[in-house]
Amino acid sequence: MNQKISKKDISKLLDELGKEFKVFSPSRESGVTTFAEWDGRDSSFLEWYRNTVISPKAQLQPLYEKMFSFHKDKEGYHLELPPPTDKKLIFGIRPCDAKALTIIDKTFQDTYQDPYYLDKRKNTLLVGLGCTNPYDSCFCTSLGLSPTQSSDVDLMLTDIGDEFLIEAVTDRGMKLIKKTSYLKEVTKTDEAKAEEARRQASSKVTRRLDTKDLAKRLLSSFDDQDFWEKVSNKCISCGICTLLCPTCYCFDISDELVKKEGSRFRSGDSCAFPVYTKMPMENPRLEKWRRVRQKVCHKYEFYPMSFEVIACSGCGRCIRLCPVNWDITQILASLPVKVKA
Amino acid sequence: MPVSDISYRKRFLTKDNVYLPHLVIIEKIIDETPDTRTFHFNFKDKGLREEFPFKSGQFGEYSIFGIGEAPFCISSSPTRYDRLEFTVRRVGSLTNALHRLSVGAEIGFRGPYGNGFPLDLLEDKNLVFVAGGIGLAPLRSLIWNVIDNRDKYKNIDIIYGARSPADLCFKYDLKNWDKDKSINMVTTVDKGDKTWKGRVGFVPQVLEEVAPSADSAVAIACGPSIMIRFTFPVLAKLGFTPEQMITTLEKRMKCGIGKCGRCNIGNLYVCRDGPVFTYAQIKDFISDEY
Repeated sequence: MNQKISKKDISKLLDELGKEFKVFSPSRESGVTTFAEWDGRDSSFLEWYRNTVISPKAQLQPLYEKMFSFHKDKEGYHLELPPPTDKKLIFGIRPCDAKALTIIDKTFQDTYQDPYYLDKRKNTLLVGLGCTNPYDSCFCTSLGLSPTQSSDVDLMLTDIGDEFLIEAVTDRGMKLIKKTSYLKEVTKTDEAKAEEARRQASSKVTRRLDTKDLAKRLLSSFDDQDFWEKVSNKCISCGICTLLCPTCYCFDISDELVKKEGSRFRSGDSCAFPVYTKMPMENPRLEKWRRVRQKVCHKYEFYPMSFEVIACSGCGRCIRLCPVNWDITQILASLPVKVKA
Repeated sequence: MPVSDISYRKRFLTKDNVYLPHLVIIEKIIDETPDTRTFHFNFKDKGLREEFPFKSGQFGEYSIFGIGEAPFCISSSPTRYDRLEFTVRRVGSLTNALHRLSVGAEIGFRGPYGNGFPLDLLEDKNLVFVAGGIGLAPLRSLIWNVIDNRDKYKNIDIIYGARSPADLCFKYDLKNWDKDKSINMVTTVDKGDKTWKGRVGFVPQVLEEVAPSADSAVAIACGPSIMIRFTFPVLAKLGFTPEQMITTLEKRMKCGIGKCGRCNIGNLYVCRDGPVFTYAQIKDFISDEY
């Protein structure tokens, strides 16, 4: 049975959840919207929040993350892992960003488990908040999602006016609402309102990406250098689309050393940078068109080949935040070779 | 793309964390050429060598704490239990730092990663090894492996070249293989010097002159990509099919386990699905970025 909570009680709810979890909610940090630790005061995000610039993926795979520290003494080197992760709760994650985590789980689980990502993932509860006001750049509905979809979160909230309808999706979500105060039973009217909110939200996503035979179409356009050169012309290789993308997970590994104390860390990396593939004598993706092709094909061709899912959830950040208005939906609509269905 | 012996290798992890290296000690350093050194190393916890499973052609991630980490193949044979070896040419910051190490230095090592050479495909076959420069390092692991199980394989040809006599790696091995009557060892240099009495010529060209038979044979080639690109057509001319040609590819890698992203060629990750491929596989690569 679904429940509901008054919007006025959200601050109190977050305070309560904060006793058990490190709670992250939408926030403005130096003018950039991101998920930050709930500070107990400002729930104004309920008014301004559409989606954050920095996706909540950053809570699971931060742009900078210590992997282990090392120090040296008479016996040699000693390596030490960071302390176990806190129990976290991400409040207000959008369905596209939650789906993105489900997508990149596959990489981090493949062959060898990635302990850093998966430990945080295991210890993080996701409380989703359906979109009521998607951006013009959003195209989640083309990736089989809806802006109010609950499939990838533990609890799902849907805006029904002065209240949120709460749906427990997983057992973890169910357990959480059982011990949470401030909840009320829902009425049939509430359910109807939620249904209407879901329907309206979906109809507001108007941008389209035709995914039919997309991997095949990309494969047949792969060697068309003229096409890739044309569509990469205006790209400035800044890497913003990849660093803000909730399904981009590439990273670099480096060391830091201060006197005899040091650490190995990983940091966000991007296929937009020439150095990403640079070897001492060669670089297989020195040319910009190759790097643009890699980015596009990895998401819509290679990832589906490996894991049977497109590495995109249609959040639209790469369109919305690109400094030169590079538009993935336009690029994919203009692929030169069409394969007959 | 499952890695066949992954469950065994998982047992070898430190604290269940694939990124946490084992500590290893440099036991000996050999100057191969003016810019290339071979390091003999062993686990600080010596008992680990017995448990350490690897195949010729697999690689490890080696690190100097505070400097960084990079992949190199294991250049010794799994049949030799007394030590492990890797061979490094001085080209970047980590490789320069490795060259500054002395015996007794403690470094990080994790692995083995990658698929390794398909030994089952090589059994009962004539083997043609074609190598250039430091490209002999991964093949050397396989060559010693094959020599240590000599009766499982038929004729062995080794065609090895370098830019100059001084740039030939593993001269002590070349001498051994040259003496071995069951091996046809051919050494060549691009350009000789006053003392050089051997062959002069590029590896693909010498391969064509030596002209090993493709009959019941497998060719295993490793070297600079320019050499590989000229070697495959020569092998084809000698009658080798794409299935009979094997090589091992090199890429910038960070994680070694198919996660950090950069070493892909199309949908394949060289670290996870390679680095050893047949030319038949390479021909089917979506991309020419290798």
